[in-house]
Amino acid sequence: MVFYILRRLLFLPLALFGVSLLVFTMIGFLSPYQRLATFINSPERLKSDNVDKLISFYGLDDPIFIQYFRWMKNVFQGNLGWSYVGKAPVLESILIRFPYTLELAIFSVIPIIFLGVSFGVLSALHHNKFLDHILRIFAVVGWSFPDFVFGLIVLMVFYSTLGWFPPGNLSIWAEEIVKSPAFRHITGMLTFDSLLNGRLDVFWDALRHLLGPVLTLTYVEFAFILRITRSSMLEVLRRDYVRTARAKGLEEKAVIHKHARRNALVPVATVSGQTIVGLLAGTVIVETIFNRTGIGSFMAIAAQQLDYASIMGGTLFFGLILILGNLCVDLSYAFIDPRVRLD
Amino acid sequence: MKRFCFVWLLVILLNVVLGGVVFAEMKNPDTYIYLTISEPDTLDPHFAYDTASGEIINFVYENLIAYRDESVTELVPRLSEAVPSADNGLIKDDGKTYVFPIRKGVKFHNGRDLTPEDVEYSFERGILFDPYAGPMWMLIEAIFNYGSLEDFVADKLGMSWEEMFNEDGSLKSEEYAEKLVSFYRQYIDPAIEVEEDDVVFHLVRPFAPFLSILAQNSNWSAILDKETSIEMGLWDGKAENWWKYHSLKKEESPLYQQTIGTGPFKFLEWDRAQQKVTLVRNEEYWGEKPKLAKVIIWGIDEWSTRRAMLEAGDADQIYAPLQYYDQVKTLPGVKVEEGARITITAMHFNWTVNKESKYIGSGQPDGEGIPLDFFSDVHVRKAFSYAFDYDTFIAEVLKGHGIRIPSVIPRGLLGYNENLPMYPFDLEKAKEEFQKAWNGEVWEKGFKLTLLYNTGNEARQTACEMLKENIESLNPKFKIEVQGVQWPNYLDAYKQGQLPAFVIGWLADYPDPHNFIFTYYHSDGVYGGPQGKLYADFAQTHFNALIEQAIAETDPEKRAALYEEIQKIAYENAVGITFYQPGEIFVMRDWVKGWYLNPMRPGEVNYDSIWKEE
Amino acid sequence: MNRGSKRWFKKFFSNFSAVLGFVLLLFFLGVALFAPYIAPPKPGRDAYMMPIVTWSSDPIPPSREHPFGVAGKRDIFYGVVWGTRTAFRIGIIVTISSTLIGLVIGSIAGYFGHLVDELLMRVTDIFMAVPFLVAALVLATILGAGLDKVIIALIVFSWMYPARLIRGNILQVKEEQFVMAAKALGVSDLVVILRHVLPNSIFPVLIQASMRMGSLVITAAALSFLGLGAPQGYADWGALLNYARNWMLGSQGQALQYWFMTVFPGLAMVLFVLAWNLVGDALRDIFDPRLRV
Repeated sequence: MVFYILRRLLFLPLALFGVSLLVFTMIGFLSPYQRLATFINSPERLKSDNVDKLISFYGLDDPIFIQYFRWMKNVFQGNLGWSYVGKAPVLESILIRFPYTLELAIFSVIPIIFLGVSFGVLSALHHNKFLDHILRIFAVVGWSFPDFVFGLIVLMVFYSTLGWFPPGNLSIWAEEIVKSPAFRHITGMLTFDSLLNGRLDVFWDALRHLLGPVLTLTYVEFAFILRITRSSMLEVLRRDYVRTARAKGLEEKAVIHKHARRNALVPVATVSGQTIVGLLAGTVIVETIFNRTGIGSFMAIAAQQLDYASIMGGTLFFGLILILGNLCVDLSYAFIDPRVRLD
Repeated sequence: MKRFCFVWLLVILLNVVLGGVVFAEMKNPDTYIYLTISEPDTLDPHFAYDTASGEIINFVYENLIAYRDESVTELVPRLSEAVPSADNGLIKDDGKTYVFPIRKGVKFHNGRDLTPEDVEYSFERGILFDPYAGPMWMLIEAIFNYGSLEDFVADKLGMSWEEMFNEDGSLKSEEYAEKLVSFYRQYIDPAIEVEEDDVVFHLVRPFAPFLSILAQNSNWSAILDKETSIEMGLWDGKAENWWKYHSLKKEESPLYQQTIGTGPFKFLEWDRAQQKVTLVRNEEYWGEKPKLAKVIIWGIDEWSTRRAMLEAGDADQIYAPLQYYDQVKTLPGVKVEEGARITITAMHFNWTVNKESKYIGSGQPDGEGIPLDFFSDVHVRKAFSYAFDYDTFIAEVLKGHGIRIPSVIPRGLLGYNENLPMYPFDLEKAKEEFQKAWNGEVWEKGFKLTLLYNTGNEARQTACEMLKENIESLNPKFKIEVQGVQWPNYLDAYKQGQLPAFVIGWLADYPDPHNFIFTYYHSDGVYGGPQGKLYADFAQTHFNALIEQAIAETDPEKRAALYEEIQKIAYENAVGITFYQPGEIFVMRDWVKGWYLNPMRPGEVNYDSIWKEE
Repeated sequence: MNRGSKRWFKKFFSNFSAVLGFVLLLFFLGVALFAPYIAPPKPGRDAYMMPIVTWSSDPIPPSREHPFGVAGKRDIFYGVVWGTRTAFRIGIIVTISSTLIGLVIGSIAGYFGHLVDELLMRVTDIFMAVPFLVAALVLATILGAGLDKVIIALIVFSWMYPARLIRGNILQVKEEQFVMAAKALGVSDLVVILRHVLPNSIFPVLIQASMRMGSLVITAAALSFLGLGAPQGYADWGALLNYARNWMLGSQGQALQYWFMTVFPGLAMVLFVLAWNLVGDALRDIFDPRLRV
């Protein structure tokens, strides 16, 4: 077990190195002028006739491996470079935005699991009956929705028609409170911070702004949990001990609650972990549509502007999250289900 | 049924709790919230060269002189006590010496007094700093007649910058240090001098638009506090080692995110995660204090969000591209003002396309591409000029907010004359010109090329599409592909001379025709280079001498005549297609009072004189 | 309800989603095949470029002339019809190529095992450590505009899933009795893989491919939606939805004024993805041994 964790952790720097190499290779296809676009970010700045000097000033015409070594050297000194999109050092830009994305993931995963599990159990209990089909079609339609289409619809209905879930992070009045010196920032997540500061009004406002993206992510993502729950439940219901319990004359409800569901949820737990990890990396579109601060929207802009320091830093950060997240998921799987052997 | 009722109850309840009904009322009477699409690039006045940065710097810093209200010709004193003119004796030596008496009793935001030494320091720091792709070339051109500090140094010392410096910015040899010190002492230092309470500028030759380059709105001429700047780590004011302060990276400049000005507003915060800048009133301001206590300039990229916030009264004014005019003109509680800046959008041609270009098909006159020098034939250029439907474009795409102008000189500037000849939209004539082009070869074999535009600008995209539609309708063998590319790829193709033709705009740095004529027509102009080698040859024989003659001329009437001559040559040779001078819409709540537009002002709002009142 | 009709009902429904999926797929296939007749292009023009019908960028609601309305100066109906071909093209090319690449890499890893396996799987891990959309976004920007560029970007970052699946299957099948038996009989490993192992993994791969088809089309559309990918004016559902982005809030009091900009291309997209998902779902139910009742 310890050996397994160690091995996985040892792979981490190697994987991050691989990711950086991969992304840098892609960036290597760019001409110096294309990379110059980060520094000359609009046609307005072409106005000066000495833009060409920027290329040698930033060493953009050096061979790609020299640029890579220069970048690596800085990384080892804890400097991920300057983010032209974030207008701050890359690491700082990411760390400022990460809590927003984490918050969105946390708030989304709750309804995703709740809906997924309860509909999944229902579906399994009504196996191949009408309700089963309805639920599964409902789920697969959601699964088929691109998040930007559903997001646009949510905005159309819940913001512009009903005025409920505004885009952005906070209303301006709430923003003022959060910005005031009296407001303490503990987690960086607006909802938790406002609760810790005892500002229920700000909490409510932050929550309202979260609901649109949460609704979108929930509908688009819950089908996966439903499917896992359903099939695992079906499998468990056929197992010997459930049959035995039934044969003993236990009430159907007790059978389901006491025996079947608990066991059926083991694989669901793992998948839920994967869902959280996936959400952290999967908010690019939703954050863009709902105009939210976060690493997803940050990466979308950085990628389009080819801000390569931000792209490198961002992909490394995502890599770190995905690898560590999956490790945690695997470990928790081993804890929940002793039959799982790690190797 | 019961369940149905319950759902409705829930909907109504949610509506009440979540505040569904949008009801706009004036919030925060002394705070102004303006939503825009861009975020400042830097707050360093000598680095900033975009309107979003200029908008902030303009209200935090002050210049020696300023424009009166909406005018771009009438100047009023600001930190100088008088506007120099030949009449008041402050312009001397036939326009080569300018004297500015510096105002007394002005305090910087940190309480220090403004002195003439601050003025001298500010200009010298900017000129020595001259960051790559920054705005300082304007002052260097005006005062010294060079394109950049490095060119200036290279010419005077007979050695290029690269020959003197290592890659890490250190000197290759100590002997260069002496040369550089004497360069400063000999040229830079004497050009701007303090004489008692005055600051005197010595120009190497008369430069007609000099005062406009200094006027408020030009962030490159902002006045900094010398002591504070030195404490922050800017140039230490000494001749020794000045080169260490030359061209830093943007984020390395100490002024990147702090300010030290005298302006009506103090800079409070730049929240870069939210693209939001906050300014607060300078309570000790020497002039008339602003009515607004706080200004929030907030970058929100999504148009729908900006509009919704305006509707809800959460914003007082928003940036609205012309294409959304119909969406805002009927909004209750919202007014739409109109105005125009000094800017144009034009297409110019590349007379010698780089042979690596991916945008010229086969690169041969075989109907599957164009030869590299395709656009060097005047008939081709004329045909293109006839094929653009100027009136429909302005009416449909710009929604009537824009005008057609004869050349690259916008309306309102010296030398503009609406009676100069222009190419009408005439497909018959276009056809005739195509038939004459390249001895009829073009018409017979056809051609194929790609017009590129930088994505995100809908008007430019539509302009290219319109040309395509019209030209393709003339002859089935004509093929034009319109391709939108991301900015990095556009920049690449542009700088490598691969674009057969490019649509590009220019926003006045200072309100003078030279700023446009030189840029587009001179072979050394910023847009001269991408027009290719053959164009450069053409410009050298037809344009350069006239342009240089015009800028050194001090009599406005003679200057105007020279510019008209240049424009006529441009017309006869159809060197470019000026599509339009766009108008703009300014969308704000009804409660905004006192708004006006000065065409040179970066940003859309006069925060120093505006107020809110219901 | 009597027993007979109940059984029929049950039977119909147990196949209902599959039937629906196949019908939808056939429908889209028909639209793609008959696009030149449903929405005839102007002669001499590239049919995949949506023709410009107006110079103003204001949306025009559905009318007889433009049954789905006009968005971004272009006819939505035309775009939706020809966009079907674009969707098929992207989905099929990317799925087939990435599956083939995955097949090769997965087989090599599973077949050789040990160091080769370890190496290839770590490379796979590295490719999977970059979020799919972000990676595709970066690569598509770098490669520039064009449908082919999008296709390349998607292939580069989607071969890992079939590779892993096939490797897993090979490792599993290797242990099975009949493979052991074949090996014991002296049949060479390669033959074993080609003859016994791969045919046994073909269905899981097919199921996965049909499920991935949907998500690939979504990702390609997401790129267009962000303004990357297909060139301006190219018939593509994502690009049509991109036009809707700035208009979706309607005007004062008429929040849903521009509904047609979102609804038609959105519906096409959802139904297309749904079709593949339903088919994949049905296939999975049939072939998932745990669910066989």
